[in-house]
Amino acid sequence: MKPIDEQDNVLFVGIDLGTSRSAISSSNGMREWIESYVGWPKDFIAEQVVGKPVLFGAEALQHRLSLDFCRPLERGIIKEGIESSERAVKEIIRHLIDLSKPEPGQKIRAVVGVPADSLKVNKLAIRRAVVEYVHTLMVVSEPFAIAYGMNLLNNALIIDIGAGTIDFCIMHGTIPSEEDQRTILTAGDYIDEQLFNYLIEKYPNSKFNMNMVRQFKEKFSFVRDINEQIHVELPVDGKPVMHDIKDEIRRACESMLPSLVETTTEMIARFDPEFQMKIKNNIVLAGGGSLIRGIARYLQDALKEYGTCKVTCVADPLFAGADGALKLAQDMPFKYWETL
Amino acid sequence: MISIFSRKNKLKIRKDILRGVYEENLFMLGRGRPALSLRRPFPLKKILLSAVVCLIAFLMQSQYIGTSFSPAELTANMSTDLFPLPAARVSAELPPDMSKYSLPPATDVSSEDTANTAEFSAFENSRNVPLSRMLGLKIRTIMIDAGHGGTHSGSIGKMGTIEKDITLDIAKRLKAHLGQKGGTHVLMTREDDSFVPLDKRVALTRETKADLFISIHVNYLPRIPTNIIETYYFGPSDDRNILRLAEQENAGSEYGLSDFREIMEKLGKTMKLQESKEFAKFIQANLFLNSRKHSEDIQNHGVKRAPFVVLLGVDVPAVLAEVSCLSNREEERKLNSESHRENIARYLAAGIFDYLNKGALTHEANR
Repeated sequence: MKPIDEQDNVLFVGIDLGTSRSAISSSNGMREWIESYVGWPKDFIAEQVVGKPVLFGAEALQHRLSLDFCRPLERGIIKEGIESSERAVKEIIRHLIDLSKPEPGQKIRAVVGVPADSLKVNKLAIRRAVVEYVHTLMVVSEPFAIAYGMNLLNNALIIDIGAGTIDFCIMHGTIPSEEDQRTILTAGDYIDEQLFNYLIEKYPNSKFNMNMVRQFKEKFSFVRDINEQIHVELPVDGKPVMHDIKDEIRRACESMLPSLVETTTEMIARFDPEFQMKIKNNIVLAGGGSLIRGIARYLQDALKEYGTCKVTCVADPLFAGADGALKLAQDMPFKYWETL
Repeated sequence: MISIFSRKNKLKIRKDILRGVYEENLFMLGRGRPALSLRRPFPLKKILLSAVVCLIAFLMQSQYIGTSFSPAELTANMSTDLFPLPAARVSAELPPDMSKYSLPPATDVSSEDTANTAEFSAFENSRNVPLSRMLGLKIRTIMIDAGHGGTHSGSIGKMGTIEKDITLDIAKRLKAHLGQKGGTHVLMTREDDSFVPLDKRVALTRETKADLFISIHVNYLPRIPTNIIETYYFGPSDDRNILRLAEQENAGSEYGLSDFREIMEKLGKTMKLQESKEFAKFIQANLFLNSRKHSEDIQNHGVKRAPFVVLLGVDVPAVLAEVSCLSNREEERKLNSESHRENIARYLAAGIFDYLNKGALTHEANR
């Protein structure tokens, strides 16, 4: 049992270091998130214009032309040894910790959830990036942190649909091994690329960029059908013109589904038939991709031919990973923290 | 009663998971897993295992010596040449079933010798004695060329890994390894993410009077599912794939036709060609044999000739090593870990040391 005074002087934080967004939940009740973009002014003049030595998230995106811009976890991994990537991860962590407002002198114990691929290949790089700003640190995979936070420790399949990757993680009463986890790259960024191409094909004279396309996706994404029209305003020869993009949004979102269904069935099929039924009734979608309208229903129907199943979505995809990591940090016995 | 049992079971699962997370992180720190999680092998079993390994090693060594040299050859080599044949050294590292990943067929290297001029014939019979040693020359400066850079990204893997970043990182690591030995000046054509035209790289190599040149690249072959390693030295080739690769790697050379004619005259410098070929052999052997220890799926595409401009321009022994393959997803993932890039740099350094020493026991695989 740890002494009371030490308990009081420790801030537990759970960090979800994502490809697109990173979030922090801390034991003092703070919950914050930023977009995982970092930018440094390109030169002295740019620094005068943006007024800061480093910018994050939406602000960095807004000033991206004046910045050396970095999205460090693009495609789900940190490019180790590439100075800007590691530096950007450090900046994100530092910024998130600052946002959690630790008291001066307070010990910080952090659990960081990272994309599953990143955990496989970037363990040490992540530690290097985080360890400067916390007293003790543990690193886990994002889908595992989500599962822990939701108490899905046994017979469950977590599918974390992020921007760079979709991470699959089967929970069967132990810490998931590499075999229990799989990653595919047809995730949010892939949808963006598809949508961008479909829109260029349909509206060759209209002007738009990848950032705008990403915003359209986040606002309107759906699969199958919805009872609403989707129109957006895009400039054509400088004039704003309304464009119907419903079909393109649907096609782009559905382009991700075949690999999602295939990998889900593969993951389930690897398990003992006795447990397959239990897992099929406990599939949970998380990450930004779980906000695509109709995706849970689609997956449930697609898996019907393998028997009944139940697919649900996490209530708060933005903080599910960070909350799970925080819970893990708080549940971790004191003796474990002390020896790390 | 059932609910109490179920609750206890859940608590146990949670406890086990928390311990699992702790152990994983402890392992990540390189402190190993706690003793509780490890099965201790029975000491006698351990001793027997060691004895068997030693015996196999001894038998394999005898077998290699027997197959590499006949007793007469061995005596001749020992008496006339202080340094054994490099080919024998390479073969000594090959596992018994090496036939399936043996160095490429003779057409790749030995048949190319016909291109060499008659004045070179004197060196033909003493090809295993390096020219540097024969002429009493020393390697004072080594130029490392990190492929691509700046606006020339090179290949980009499916996970977004960029060739120019990987080559630069490996080049820096190689420089550090070579620098550790001392006595040799190690330079790089680029030390940051900047675009350096190929002619500038060549000019820099000449200006600095570099004695050895190695260019580092990463392959991208989407049609080949496995990882491949290959090393090139300058020479004409009929292989369409090689010509396509040369076209890619020569992009941005900024050489004119008149320059090219002048440079072509340098083809007469057969000593350079011959040394480059030898150099390429050592690089390829070290890269492949050592990489193979970590992955079963590597293919050895051997030493090849290709018309890379950067190799043609420099006057000294020069090779271009395709150290890995970005189109292979597993390999791309590995390339993003420092340890893998560090290993590649070590193997390149071992290849360079082996070339320089030709006969001294510096092979990475012997460590």
